[in-house]
Amino acid sequence: MNKLWQKGVLGVLILLVAYNSVYFKKLDEVKATTAGFDGAAYATTFWSEKLTPAMEKGVDLSALLQQLQTNPDQAFATHSHALGIGNIKYFPVKGVATVKNVRENEVQVALDAQPAGTELTIATEYIFGNAVRDASGQIDINAFTNTMDFNTVSAELNNIIRTQVIPPFKGQVKTGDRVEFTGAIELNQKYLNFSSIEIIPVSLSVEKQ
Amino acid sequence: MFKQNTISSLLLCAIFALALFGCKTKEKKDEANKVAIIVSTLNNPWFVFLAEQAKEKANELGYEAKIFDSQNNTAQETDHFENALASGYDAILFNPTDADGSIVNVKNAKIAGVPVFCMDREVNDPDAATSQILSDSYSGSVSIAKKFVESLNKKGNYVEILGMVGDNNTWNRSRGFHSVVDHYPDLKMVAQQSADFDRNKAMEVLESVLQANPDIDAVFCGNDAMAMGAYQALVAAGKADKVKVFGFDGAEDVVNSIQDEKIVATGMQFPAVMAQTAATFADEYFKGKRDFPKKMPVAVELVTSKNVGNYVAYGAKK
Repeated sequence: MNKLWQKGVLGVLILLVAYNSVYFKKLDEVKATTAGFDGAAYATTFWSEKLTPAMEKGVDLSALLQQLQTNPDQAFATHSHALGIGNIKYFPVKGVATVKNVRENEVQVALDAQPAGTELTIATEYIFGNAVRDASGQIDINAFTNTMDFNTVSAELNNIIRTQVIPPFKGQVKTGDRVEFTGAIELNQKYLNFSSIEIIPVSLSVEKQ
Repeated sequence: MFKQNTISSLLLCAIFALALFGCKTKEKKDEANKVAIIVSTLNNPWFVFLAEQAKEKANELGYEAKIFDSQNNTAQETDHFENALASGYDAILFNPTDADGSIVNVKNAKIAGVPVFCMDREVNDPDAATSQILSDSYSGSVSIAKKFVESLNKKGNYVEILGMVGDNNTWNRSRGFHSVVDHYPDLKMVAQQSADFDRNKAMEVLESVLQANPDIDAVFCGNDAMAMGAYQALVAAGKADKVKVFGFDGAEDVVNSIQDEKIVATGMQFPAVMAQTAATFADEYFKGKRDFPKKMPVAVELVTSKNVGNYVAYGAKK
């Protein structure tokens, strides 16, 4: 009788342990937790709290272009950002320029002091890639579980530019206007090319002439 | 008396054990560290180059190194990890077959105290590998896609040939590409199929797609081997002059084809940089460093007929 009692208690204990050791969840619930990164929300916060302030402290583009021609190594070391290894580097830049030509995909501009042989455009159509995200120097790839989430941040930042920065600019810009800008440029350190420097804008304000 | 004998025996045992441990430690110190290089496949010249560069750098740093081919099979990869751990390899330079499926292998190595440095492809666990040195596939594909949209003047029918569906690079490239192309409603994707990064499979996939969709304007391929396969299919169908092909990698035959204007563009990856960085990290680990970046992206550069003169296979001209 005593043994039967002991076996009963043991059986109940085993059942209790087994019940508390196994959990059943729907697969889509599990997937939802791994795919739960909200890129749009992250980008909105990053834009207002980190990106915009970083771009306002960017390097003056005229001064940068001069330095790139006289001492490129120092210019890259001092002002560029990149998240890894390679020749592609990004610069947070700011300045004031005069509009030379309004084209379908970009606006050609000229700085007051611009080295000969350089051509500058403000992108208005192809707002893509990681230039803005990486130029800020304010984001850490290691804070993200995988690179897909990390890249979603770029896509969402570009979306903000495409929907909030470009339309009011395109709606009013004309040849001869003055434009105050902040933004990002991408340069290849090994093969520097000054003939087509493209500014991905973060802020644009037009002063009519 | 008994107590004294016991203490003496224990002391003797301790001295003997210390001596044995000392011999073992000394023997390990005198032995060169061994590095295992486990790559997803050697059936693609790009990965052969990656593996050989890693081996060369490990040898140059004074380590014995051996290459293991996983043949795109996670089970085979697991066998290689087990063998490498059992054979006393001290570090693994790793190119995974599957971003999720390979995690367990990396974790087993970590439990065994063997550091793993991922090259080119990542595993979806930020804490498993000691460091992951990865091509910035997304940015590379964004650059290719901009060229793609410009070349097609924002309209046309196209086919996308994907790499292995379990590899993050496949989706980073596809996402980077679509992050641009999908903004243009007149660019219509008529087919999207995987060819596992394989040249022959890509040729077969495109041959089959062309039967149902003969009127295409462009093909975007997730790597250069597939781009060459796609180009072969277009040559066979008599459409090579009309359809624009885009690849990704910077393989020799595609760099040559861009020069000959057979292929429009590719994204130049730098496998030597990734392999050499991984081997250097292993060397630093052996010397005591433990603070490595969890992820180290390597920039990808757009190669077109305008700048192809700056590049050779798998990298920039020196």
